[in-house]
Amino acid sequence: MRILVVGAGKVGRTLAEHLAGEEHDVSIVDKDEKVIDECNDRLDVMCIHGNGANAQTLIDAGVSKADVLIAATAGDEVNMLCCLIGKRLGARYAIARIRDPQYNESLMLLQQELGIDMAINPERATALEISRLLRFPFASNIESFAKGLVEMVEFRAQENDPVVGIPLKHLLNRHSHLPRVLYAAVERDGRVSIPMGDFIIRAGDRVFVTGDIVTITSYFKAMGKNTTSVKHVMIIGGGKISYYLSKMIVPTGIHVTLIEKNPEKAAILSEELPHVNVLCGDGTSTELLKQESLGDMDALVCLTDRDEENIMAGLFATRTGVPKVIVKNNRQFFSDLFPDMGLDSIVSPKQITSSNILRYVRARIGGQGTRVEKLHRILNGKAEALEFAVRKDDSFTGIPLMNLKMKNNTLVAVIVRKGKVIVPFGKDTIEAGDSVVILSCEPGISDLSEVFVK
Amino acid sequence: MNSALIIRILGSIGLVEAISMIPAWVIALAYGDGDGPAMLYSMLLTAAVAFLMYFFAHPKERTLRAREGFLIVALSWIFLSVFGALPFLFSGLLPSFPDALFESVSGFTTTGATVLPSFDFMPHGVIFWRSFTHWIGGMGVLVLTLALLPRLADRSSHLMRAESPGPSLSKLVPRIGDSAKILYMIYIALTSMEMIALLFCGLDPYDAAIHALGTAGTGGFSNYGDSVAHFQSGQVELVMTIFMCLFGINFAIFYFGIHRSWKEIRNNEELRWYLGILITAILVLTVMLLPVYGDFSSSIRYASFQTASVVSTSGFCTVDFDLWPVQARMVLFVLMFMGSCAGSTAGGMKVIRVILLLKQGHREIRHTFQPRKVQRIRLDGHGVDESMLHSISAFGFAYIFIVLLGAFLIALEGKYDLITNFTASLTCVSNVGPGFGAVGPSGSFAGYGPYAKIISSLLMLAGRLELYPLLVLFHPNVWKT
Repeated sequence: MRILVVGAGKVGRTLAEHLAGEEHDVSIVDKDEKVIDECNDRLDVMCIHGNGANAQTLIDAGVSKADVLIAATAGDEVNMLCCLIGKRLGARYAIARIRDPQYNESLMLLQQELGIDMAINPERATALEISRLLRFPFASNIESFAKGLVEMVEFRAQENDPVVGIPLKHLLNRHSHLPRVLYAAVERDGRVSIPMGDFIIRAGDRVFVTGDIVTITSYFKAMGKNTTSVKHVMIIGGGKISYYLSKMIVPTGIHVTLIEKNPEKAAILSEELPHVNVLCGDGTSTELLKQESLGDMDALVCLTDRDEENIMAGLFATRTGVPKVIVKNNRQFFSDLFPDMGLDSIVSPKQITSSNILRYVRARIGGQGTRVEKLHRILNGKAEALEFAVRKDDSFTGIPLMNLKMKNNTLVAVIVRKGKVIVPFGKDTIEAGDSVVILSCEPGISDLSEVFVK
Repeated sequence: MNSALIIRILGSIGLVEAISMIPAWVIALAYGDGDGPAMLYSMLLTAAVAFLMYFFAHPKERTLRAREGFLIVALSWIFLSVFGALPFLFSGLLPSFPDALFESVSGFTTTGATVLPSFDFMPHGVIFWRSFTHWIGGMGVLVLTLALLPRLADRSSHLMRAESPGPSLSKLVPRIGDSAKILYMIYIALTSMEMIALLFCGLDPYDAAIHALGTAGTGGFSNYGDSVAHFQSGQVELVMTIFMCLFGINFAIFYFGIHRSWKEIRNNEELRWYLGILITAILVLTVMLLPVYGDFSSSIRYASFQTASVVSTSGFCTVDFDLWPVQARMVLFVLMFMGSCAGSTAGGMKVIRVILLLKQGHREIRHTFQPRKVQRIRLDGHGVDESMLHSISAFGFAYIFIVLLGAFLIALEGKYDLITNFTASLTCVSNVGPGFGAVGPSGSFAGYGPYAKIISSLLMLAGRLELYPLLVLFHPNVWKT
């Protein structure tokens, strides 16, 4: 596919890198010559210097033949204008990043009038992610599939967990009380693998399990993990994510304490969020945190603009004994270090945005041919979970899974049939109309038929 | 330093080289001059070494950094030349290694200078290989490797940038592998067109192939001692003149032509200058040669062929231009510095650099009497980045410095006169082929000793890779990890 990315910022560049890696023809436009030079050095894409909201620049960049136009510049208005012009000039799909909460209210109208096929708000998407993590505090990461029927949950195996030290195939005999879930992926020492029956989980591994919500919840109960729901949350930093997050979780009955440094911002927040306990102060001051009884909180969410402050506050909270700590971090370079420090739940708006857009683009490859319904990049993008809808004429329907030859490092994680979740074993079959979740350590799958080797 | 990755890439280039020896081997078998085993052994030895390098190097990191990019380009050209010399050695055509290496380097760098002592013993297979190295070296072997194996390494644009002639790399399409493929398609198409045209002029297929390959790479190896003059055919000369001029044009222009982007072509300042310089030089030379040849038609015939040959840095000859009057020789001498367009297969400093150097000179003069005037240098209607101008000035200086240094080092051997030694160095760095004096159209480099041949080989490589990749090799810090 021909993809045109406007704006070579963090998100634009990540997208370009991934899409180029998946054999798409990518062009990237930015008005900063230095940034373009850097892209030229690092990415195998066409780099064009110019203003992405200028029709001539877009024409030169080949917008008329583009399948997808992604506007990810810093300015909402530029993005909207870019999509408007691009759509008129012949781009098939237009995706815009629109982050101002004020535009968000009239988003439907804007999308229709401007011809934007997908509008993504990084802060809102991040807030949504965080709110899900707060609902399932035992998970360090959570992805849901099949309209929320299936959850894929990540947790860190600990020394005294019953699953540790036993080959997976003997697990049910030893611990008959453990509900049956599928062990989808394990990360150890930075390497991701899909565990087979002989695999032994060790303490410190990051484990992904899948199943329906009820089973998953009872599984974690049986494991002795904390399944009590979060009641009191402290948020540090009063940015847009905090605003959206508060709006989302306050109605579910969670008490929110929000700490913001800037008095003016704090005043506006307290006006807009009447049910939130807004404090004005430095969120990294241990004095203040103790005073506001951080130790009694069920969760702490660190959302300041500075990654370092978030990490430091997060580390302090983990030591104080807060059961759930969520930290925002935009820099990918160091993300491998955090699990070792005890910080498991890291959210990155940049990564969330790019995987949302990637999911949308993936779903549109080749017109009707493929059907990626949902895509989640997990374990820092080292593995992907993809949801597909199975069609009638697919060649692999009705054959037991053990007779199908699969692509390496790939797994059928879940089958959803008529609203019922099946954790598949060798004898199960895939039928037309099912939703199937595939887990793969090799990125770039866009069609279910790629998974089954003929 | 990621040595494993470097070794692996060198290995893959060796494999490409071994594969490209196949046509020469087939021709050797077909003609039966007894050079079949030489080609076969060279091929097998190259393949074996390359295979070991490719399959036993396991790079942990696939990302190329800029420094490795330059290093790989320089090392792979040396690697290529050493193994490319094997057929000359094994067939006994050039029994000493410095001679064989010189011939191989001269082939790959599309210089076309030769050390063949005589043209009596010309085994068809090895001589075909000699011309085929022009063709591979013209477009660049890394470009070819990238076209065939685009997933060799991440950020492989460093490689293409270091290998492609010209100050900046213009990608035709987003993916570098696809760009490389398009370039080779155009290259193959143009080469076949020339070969067909030469067949129509009455050349036999072997001669047509040799001269088409030599023109395409702008190399200049011929299988006859008196080069193109051997045919004594105005038609052949006309066809070759046209194609030499075409191969001196930036290949992106042909791509635009196929896509009917006439605006891009009209906007291209380098192309206008290139054509302008060609036509002017031909007219001036014609006038200068009138007293020598007497009539207009033969003056323009020799003038146009020789101009095209020198500007495109091919170095084919139809006449011994060393016997021309000094004004005419001076024209060719100056043209030897310049070469053709960036992004073509030709050598020299490139027209685009000469344009920008002239514009900078003009700006400096203007600056002395109007210091407050803001002057932005423009090319193709866009402002040119100051950092690019700086690097071009530095390149211009480095080019002349290398030519002088080369002349000095060659002269240390103590042979020949000043003109010969100087033009030997210039013709090597500019990848033209013949110079003046003893290395002129009727002479060759055969009279030099092994020392001067090695120096000349290095100069040719430096010229083909546009100095920096080769100079990098001599910088001590590069080898420190």
